[in-house]
Amino acid sequence: MLLREMQRQKGRTVQIIALVVLVCGLVAAGIGLGFLVREVGYDLNPVLVVAVDLVALLIFTIMVSSTLARAAQVLYLRDDLDLLLSSPLPPGRILAVRFAGIAFSVTLFWLVLAAGLLAPIAVIAAPALLAVLPVLLALGLVASAVGLLLTTLLFRLIGPRRTRTLAQVLSALIGASLFLSSQLPNILRGKSESYSRWGWLRPYFTGEAHLDLPPHADLIARAAVGQPIPLLLVLAVSLVFFMLVTGMLGRQFARDAASAIGSDPARRVSKRVTGAFAAGAFAATLRKELRLLMRDISLFSQVLLRVLYMLPLAFVFVRNASAGDSLLLPTAAAAMAVMAGQLSSSFTWITVSAEDAPDLLVAAPASMSLITRAKLWAALIPTAVLVAIPLLAVGLFAPLTALVSAAGCFASAWACGVVNIWRQRPGRRADFRRRGNVNWVVAFAILGISGLIGGATFLAASGMTWAILPAVLAAVLTLAMRRSDKQIRERLRDEA
Amino acid sequence: MTDALHLSGLTKTFGAKRAVDNLDLTVRSGELYALLGPNGAGKTTTLRMVAGLLAPTSGAISVFGVDAVKDPAAAKQIIAWAPDEPMLYDRLNPMEYLEFVAGLWGVDGKTARKRAEDLLKWLDLWDQRAQRCEGFSRGMKQKTALAGALIHDPRLLMLDEPPTGLDAAMARQVKDVLQERVRQGGTVILTTHILEVAERMADRIGIIQHGRLLAEGSLEDLRALGGGAGATLEDLFLQLTGQAAVA
Repeated sequence: MLLREMQRQKGRTVQIIALVVLVCGLVAAGIGLGFLVREVGYDLNPVLVVAVDLVALLIFTIMVSSTLARAAQVLYLRDDLDLLLSSPLPPGRILAVRFAGIAFSVTLFWLVLAAGLLAPIAVIAAPALLAVLPVLLALGLVASAVGLLLTTLLFRLIGPRRTRTLAQVLSALIGASLFLSSQLPNILRGKSESYSRWGWLRPYFTGEAHLDLPPHADLIARAAVGQPIPLLLVLAVSLVFFMLVTGMLGRQFARDAASAIGSDPARRVSKRVTGAFAAGAFAATLRKELRLLMRDISLFSQVLLRVLYMLPLAFVFVRNASAGDSLLLPTAAAAMAVMAGQLSSSFTWITVSAEDAPDLLVAAPASMSLITRAKLWAALIPTAVLVAIPLLAVGLFAPLTALVSAAGCFASAWACGVVNIWRQRPGRRADFRRRGNVNWVVAFAILGISGLIGGATFLAASGMTWAILPAVLAAVLTLAMRRSDKQIRERLRDEA
Repeated sequence: MTDALHLSGLTKTFGAKRAVDNLDLTVRSGELYALLGPNGAGKTTTLRMVAGLLAPTSGAISVFGVDAVKDPAAAKQIIAWAPDEPMLYDRLNPMEYLEFVAGLWGVDGKTARKRAEDLLKWLDLWDQRAQRCEGFSRGMKQKTALAGALIHDPRLLMLDEPPTGLDAAMARQVKDVLQERVRQGGTVILTTHILEVAERMADRIGIIQHGRLLAEGSLEDLRALGGGAGATLEDLFLQLTGQAAVA
């Protein structure tokens, strides 16, 4: 318990340090921008209005997705909500406070970021720009209200458990789609075109082209630059909307939450009852792990996101490989090897560290090395399936490179998998996203190993014998992380 | 006849604390033995050492003549351990869970499937065999875990606080299952702090405190130690543990 609490504390410390570094970076950027604004000034031309609206839309979408995940989670905090709803306070008031908490937590991150950037600009050039902060607050209120409406709707349609899963998946997909859309220019532009990302905007700035905006499209921008009427209007509308929605939903949420608490979770029935039983510990463990992996939609979607983030690279690769770029095949081979390592690492963490019944395995006569071998294979199988798709694509262009890539992928997946086994630490599936914070040595080692094997794969696919060097380094790093079965047992016993 | 379990000088320390202190205990084959004691007495720690989940600091553990410290795999093969918190997987259904447990104990597929069917029917879980455990009540989870413990037909079944959290009907069903097991020649050890359970079910009772065995025997044997013929197990338990506290 103490150790877990310490690990959690360490995770929080890493997050705080990352935030501080980010804010420092933003302050530095803000100082630069402040001098620029003082020099050039700013004018609410149509292009700036569109840019502000787009940024607001982007932030709004992310806020809605965060609310989705948080609201579903809040409804599922059974003990907490049970206690609150059984208190003499009216449920509506309790939930109003909780909704306000969601809105605040969803907005806080953006407020901190914006404050870091805006404070120097306000001091150096334009104090009025601090109005961005209340605008962000207004966005947070509206986004939270929309997120809560969506959660209630989902709750009604598919029930509490699936709402939580779907909310997590949706939230992840929204994040991924925003990332992918940000990569669209890279995907769409032709290889030979001399390209300037913002070049198409020039005519609008120089007045050669005119942009017709719909009425009131500049409301947010005017509020953000501190014009009093638009600012008050934005704040008032968002506050009224939030209060209306949460007031309306309060009673509904109380009823839904009560039904979630009072009833058993939905009973999921398997489509078919198990046929022939697996024989032996290896087959039984493999089958069990694969079943659990496939049934944890939320966790699986988080792992799959890693693949999704590789898609822009894949698009670029397919387009440019068909145009005959000699470096692209080795680059793709390296990327696949890195991806295989990362995927295998994620899956192995789930199968090994997030084991739900570790005592059952220890109490069994089957050897622990056999069980962990089965768990490693259970992690390698979905990795192989996911990597097979880009591998086949490479195979279409260059079968030999595909073979080299396959070897790199296997080496990377295997090495990252065994490191997770050697350095396993008991965790819960819910801790999946935070596992790197808790076990950062392993996180860095896996990054290093998959990167080195990726490098070796790149060189091998380019036909260079130098590939042996990063391969040996990867092997050394992997072996440096090794622990014997006895050491693993002792370590786990110490942490129990 | 070989004893089902023989502990001699068993000791387990956690830092400065002695959870189990030089414990000598013998459980005969074919009996239902209840290990009684207040919270923190060392009951669960003792059984966890027998199950191979904890390494003893010193002492010997023999399960049907097999040295569980030197050859844990052979001992585990004939032991089943069911803790008070069922060791289940929420996203598996009872059939899948039993398939996994049977695999861990090396039961061949065909035999395991047949046993799983029998156990689920016996424990009234047949209609829920395809439902994931996540929707089960605590009682249903405990019965599923019990089925898992019995799937490899263990010679020694150890249960930690088995009737905890069960309603009256389910508790009765679990007791019936355990007694039936003993009638069939199996050996059952259970820890409990519910004295009625021990009084009604156990052939012999061991009372443990501060990791030491204070008294052992049938209810009559314990009554003879003090409390008189009409004394309940509760009277004896309080008297014995009270004496220990004074000592």
